[in-house]
Amino acid sequence: MRALLVLFWAFLVAKAQEVRSSIDEELLIPNETESAGSADETCIAEDSSFGLDSGNSTSNDKEDPVEEELLNEALQKPVFFEKQDAIKYPFAEQLTLKPLPRNYMVASFQFQMASNNLSVGQSETDFDAYRHYTVFPKAISPILEYTNTRQLHLRFTHGLWDSESWGQLPHKGSKSGGNGVELWAVIEADSKEIAFRHWVSLANSLSGLFCSSINFIDSERTTYPVSSFQPQGDGGLPVFNATNGLFLIRAALANEPICTENLTPFLKLLPTRGKSGISSLLDGHKVFDSNWHSMSLDVETTCDGNDCKYHMEELIEIVFNVPNTLARAEKPIPKPVKESDLKCDESKPHDNFECFPLPQSKEIKFRLSELFGKQIVGSSLISESPSQICADVSDNWKAYIDVDNMLFATDNNCFSVKENKLHDLYLESDDTTQVTPPESVPLYVSRSLTGYGQDSGGLRTVFKNPGNESVNAIYFEALPWYMRIYLSSLKIESADGLEIEDVVRGTYYLPAIDRERPTHLEYNLTIPANTTIALSYQFDKALLKYAEYPPDANHGFEIESAVVTVLEPVRYEMRTATLLLSLSTPDFSMPYNVIILTSTVMGLAFGTLFNLMVKRLVPLEEADRQASLRPGLKGKVARMLKAFSLKRKKVDEVKKRQ
Amino acid sequence: MNLRELQVVFACLASRFGAAAVFPLLQQQLDRSVEFSTPVTSFRSLQEGVFLLQNDFPLYSGGVMHHAPLLVALMSTFNSNTLISLLFTCADSAIAYQLIAMAKCFQNLHLPAWVPGALYVINPLVLLSSVSRSTVVFSNLAISTALLSALQGKAVLSAASIAVAAYLSLYPLLLLVPILTLLPKDRFKTVAITFTTLAGLLLSSYKINDENWNYLFSTYGVIITFSKIIPNLGLWWYFFVELFEMFIPFFKAVFNLFIVSCIIPFSLRFHKQPFYAFILCLCWITLTKSYPTLGEGGFLLSFVPFFRPLFGYFRYSVISTLLFIHVSVLSPVFYHLWVDLGSGNSNFFYAISLVYALGLATVLVDLVWAMLRIEYDKGKPNLNLKLTPI
Repeated sequence: MRALLVLFWAFLVAKAQEVRSSIDEELLIPNETESAGSADETCIAEDSSFGLDSGNSTSNDKEDPVEEELLNEALQKPVFFEKQDAIKYPFAEQLTLKPLPRNYMVASFQFQMASNNLSVGQSETDFDAYRHYTVFPKAISPILEYTNTRQLHLRFTHGLWDSESWGQLPHKGSKSGGNGVELWAVIEADSKEIAFRHWVSLANSLSGLFCSSINFIDSERTTYPVSSFQPQGDGGLPVFNATNGLFLIRAALANEPICTENLTPFLKLLPTRGKSGISSLLDGHKVFDSNWHSMSLDVETTCDGNDCKYHMEELIEIVFNVPNTLARAEKPIPKPVKESDLKCDESKPHDNFECFPLPQSKEIKFRLSELFGKQIVGSSLISESPSQICADVSDNWKAYIDVDNMLFATDNNCFSVKENKLHDLYLESDDTTQVTPPESVPLYVSRSLTGYGQDSGGLRTVFKNPGNESVNAIYFEALPWYMRIYLSSLKIESADGLEIEDVVRGTYYLPAIDRERPTHLEYNLTIPANTTIALSYQFDKALLKYAEYPPDANHGFEIESAVVTVLEPVRYEMRTATLLLSLSTPDFSMPYNVIILTSTVMGLAFGTLFNLMVKRLVPLEEADRQASLRPGLKGKVARMLKAFSLKRKKVDEVKKRQ
Repeated sequence: MNLRELQVVFACLASRFGAAAVFPLLQQQLDRSVEFSTPVTSFRSLQEGVFLLQNDFPLYSGGVMHHAPLLVALMSTFNSNTLISLLFTCADSAIAYQLIAMAKCFQNLHLPAWVPGALYVINPLVLLSSVSRSTVVFSNLAISTALLSALQGKAVLSAASIAVAAYLSLYPLLLLVPILTLLPKDRFKTVAITFTTLAGLLLSSYKINDENWNYLFSTYGVIITFSKIIPNLGLWWYFFVELFEMFIPFFKAVFNLFIVSCIIPFSLRFHKQPFYAFILCLCWITLTKSYPTLGEGGFLLSFVPFFRPLFGYFRYSVISTLLFIHVSVLSPVFYHLWVDLGSGNSNFFYAISLVYALGLATVLVDLVWAMLRIEYDKGKPNLNLKLTPI
């Protein structure tokens, strides 16, 4: 390994010397400056080994002694970066742990970074264009530039967030999507068509980058939200070319499974690559073995005068059930609890065969490494601020950071990871039911399918406003074209006798086009305080073509979640659960049978009619006579048959006479 | 119009209106059944159109609306449920009346004039179709008006009605050919009036649809391209579901040619009996059209009494009766097994659509055969003579 490094270093130096000399001599005589070439020549002349590699190595070996000294000097200064205080990049990371009721805990990993100034108006191929990536991932920025994307939001979410018990989603719901993958972006373009083309290319690029099927996003799933998903922040979005407009485009893939291969690309985007800092905790097995997890990526372009930058935020949020996860870490294969460990309720009958287990103990103590299976490996040394670990706990919880088996505590339960050592967090509580009270959700929304047939059904959405203020919200729904909704069947159910006009203040409706466009529905709703209402409407299900069904057609089709953006009294965003829509299926083994049977019936009808219309009607005897007159085999057969029937007639007559 | 005929028309009014009033949920139930409702004729879709129109949403920008713009505009003027019910009932009663009037045009029918009307009234297929408020009623009314006025020699009315029928559901335009054989003197006039009326209707639709031609595809394009694949009694839906993508355009052309194929031959071959040519063409369209319903089948069967003198020649009358009973009993059962219970599969319902096509085909073949026989017998039925085509 070291030898390789040495070789590489030597090669670089050699190259650098070449360039310097060529510049010095004002691009004179290539023969003399091509040192590597000349070395090659000498080496071929000197030894008879014909391999290119050996040639290279000999040429480099000559310079080795000098370079090795240099390198040794470098190696003697053990940690190169720590000494250089000046090199700090705009990168910050924070891990927040927050216990939730019922022994759950949410771990929120937050990474923020910014790019260098962008060269606006220069394309990648410009002569003096150069790119310098520091902490900003090199993979993202060309995609954004190529597709003219000003804002990019990507969400990978899976699981159920129990808002009635856990309260508001982290970051007021603005950072988590519906089940599956959700992508929306603000794209600068001349027209909607061009914006859509950029959008498709953006989706395809991201698909490769994140190893997921984002490339399945096409016009059939794409919507242009009108009042939902509006970009936040002040000052508006930058437009690099004044004649262009900005287009907000959005799509979601509800049936996308989220797994390890999606996490790895997320970590690779970080400057720490998941090797140090808090990201070293993240491990696919633990992240996806959780009750709810969400990975989000937001890139925004911000401009200050002519200086524009990308700001990127990556969030990974996980909800664990702590005792379950600890038990899983202890015993990866679940086994029955030993008799000696079993705690039975002694007030009830208990013996060797009968046991009513006691409720879980309220006390808990654990280390972060037991939850994640890893410890935090040092800090992110290149970032402007040290890695932060915070525990958002109530008073009866205690949080300590463990550095080299020494426990430290702070007043606000926030710790900075500065040293390049293994860190761990130690949490203990004597009463896990006491947690920081979750913030109450302004609106509960749940959506379900009604009806039983596979040809039609209904959608029913229940809105519950638990608060004392009326809630103003936008309900966004994109439904696939194979749900043909009847908006005229919109009904409201309300115990207070509310009418549709009292609740629905505005509607945006773009009906679906088969195989081209989804139904796009946005309601502006006002839900009075302490009220529950249900909106429902009917739809028909289409029959798809043979090849349009997914491999497991009878599993059904995932319908992406509806998005509710609460505007007042607080800004909050949430998604309903996804739905599983079952469509009627054809018999997939029938293609040839159908073609044959249908064609037979068509042929039967047409053929019979055609025969009747073009042929002449004659009495039966006349037809027989004409048939027997015909020459050839057909005539012969007809004559034989006639003779046979005549004979039989005679025989019959004879028999009758007898 | 004598008392009996009045009774028939009144019975029609009462039965339709009564059924809708006594069983208010029956309408929705029937409107969901594939036998009586298709995307292009269902009342639900019409209601959706009215809703979109009244709320200023674009009517034809999506893929839900397939009704003609003028029909939607007409329906949007009716606000009350009772009025709408009355409208459908009146349209149906008008058909019953016109059947009676048609029967009066034939002297040698050997039937009292009220019988075809009465059979229409008690025909369960027509009754259910009318209760489901399928817009088939309106195109049926236009067709029967065209036929009646052609029989009475009123070329203008006939041409205008056929144009209205064509405007509502496209295929009746083909019936212009047998209408021309019915009106041998005013052929040019009929064609001219039909196309003028149709152009007028299309233009006024263009005007009320915010000067946009996009309704043409949603209403007629959907019919020609078989693009709304939804189970129905037609021959094609399963065919296009199962067919490989690259063959679909070719077979769409085949199906369209199939519909047109027999119209001119029937009109030419039976130009001496133009009324029968008309019925044969109607039967052929009912058999081959893209979104058939039992309502149209029932309407067609109401013309069978007019073939009273030919009944003796029918060879498959038992078979076709049994096939129709088979279809009307088993089709809802099989559809339910497939779609609701999941214990059957799509082949069950597909088989039923084949049986329905077979039933219509046997009726058609019987009618043609009977026509040829009576032609051979020169109007005097000789049932003992055995004939064969060669």
